[in-house]
Amino acid sequence: TSSSGVVQGAPGLVSVPPGFSMPSVPPPSFPGQPAGETGSPLPNPGTYEECHRKCKEVFPIQMEGVRLVVNKGLSNHFQVSHTVTLSTLAESGYRFGATYVGTQQTGPAESFPVMVGDMDNTASLNAQVIHQLTSAVRSKIAIQTQQHKFVNWQCDLEYRGDDFTSAVTLGNPDVLLGSGIIVAHYLQSISPALAFGGELVYHRRPGEEGAVTSLMGRYTGNNYVATLTLGGAGAHATYYHRANDQLQLGVEFEGSMRTQETAVSFGYQLDLPKANLLFKGSVDSNWVVGAVLEKKLLPLPLSLALGAFLNQKKNTFQCGFNVTVG
Amino acid sequence: MAGIEELSPAVGPVDTRPPEGEIDEDEDEELDESFIERLWGLTEMFPDTLRSAAEVTVSSSFTMAKKLYSFSRAALWVGTTSFMILVLPVVFETERLQLEQQQLQQQRQILLGPNAGMSGGMPGMMPPAPVKM
Repeated sequence: TSSSGVVQGAPGLVSVPPGFSMPSVPPPSFPGQPAGETGSPLPNPGTYEECHRKCKEVFPIQMEGVRLVVNKGLSNHFQVSHTVTLSTLAESGYRFGATYVGTQQTGPAESFPVMVGDMDNTASLNAQVIHQLTSAVRSKIAIQTQQHKFVNWQCDLEYRGDDFTSAVTLGNPDVLLGSGIIVAHYLQSISPALAFGGELVYHRRPGEEGAVTSLMGRYTGNNYVATLTLGGAGAHATYYHRANDQLQLGVEFEGSMRTQETAVSFGYQLDLPKANLLFKGSVDSNWVVGAVLEKKLLPLPLSLALGAFLNQKKNTFQCGFNVTVG
Repeated sequence: MAGIEELSPAVGPVDTRPPEGEIDEDEDEELDESFIERLWGLTEMFPDTLRSAAEVTVSSSFTMAKKLYSFSRAALWVGTTSFMILVLPVVFETERLQLEQQQLQQQRQILLGPNAGMSGGMPGMMPPAPVKM
């Protein structure tokens, strides 16, 4: 089942709105090839975007209004979802989504090509095609339109080596205007626990061009992961800790050079499979307190999610609930 | 009477003033000071430093009490709502789970005999000391 949440594109690109979700594709496991540089084989470090993701997944999502999602699997390869959103702040609407998973199987849990598409009742389309071109190269094309206008179109190529991953993303290339964004990522394993990486974003519009670079380091311990990203746009540090099989904690620090603001958030996730319960809570330095409770109502394939977010300083409150069938 | 005339020439024409016999009593009633003001006047006998120290202490303790009151109101509200959002649902659900498990145990006890409430629900015919294989 695809989880609906905000999927962040690379910094510099427009982040994709909720509802545009990608089925989680676990990284392919490569057989340990002993042709490593220092003798012992270093593991592939994963992708650049995934480094902060473990900590971010601990935090609850802000929910507003009512959402009903009906997922129906039509076959092993094809899945369809209907989403009805009723909301007080934004527009209510209906969204139809389809996921096709192809027949070329590269691992136990993944097959390619993967095609995901979503269409809104205002005819806004989000579509993604992910394909594994060779055993080490994966490509992705994503398109997003707002009614009939193309808002985002990007193409992405990722190469996974033995102990490194590099990716190049070309965003909104417009040959006629001479504008576009190029993002290059590189992540290298230094030791089984340590990985370093860098990112370069180059954007160009008629009359202006600029580049932003950042460096990233990630350390994976026994039951924790610490990641730090430093760049021209600011600093971002996350720490993820798995206390026991029920409790996971995350601490996130974010500082932005542009707005000269810093924020610290603390989040936790409590997993009680015996009670069919998943609870995520977060406390923020902006005096925001939020929580999401997900409960599986078990004899039926129903799951109910209740969310509440309270801003103590501004005294505003938002709550919502999701019902997912199937 | 002549002294009074000298000290307060602006009192008014002589014929409006009360007769001399009543002046002493009326002075007590017509004085501009109220009771509180007369008591306050008594404090003027203390030295200035003591008076200003007392005034600062009293006013700052009033301010502190007001601030403490408003802080405790805000803290109580923030604490209650944050507890409600962050902790209460989990507490409800775990209590519900415990109650359900207790109920199941009780049902098993009723169904299978008094020693069957233990984990595993073994039938009540086994001796209390299990034999380890």
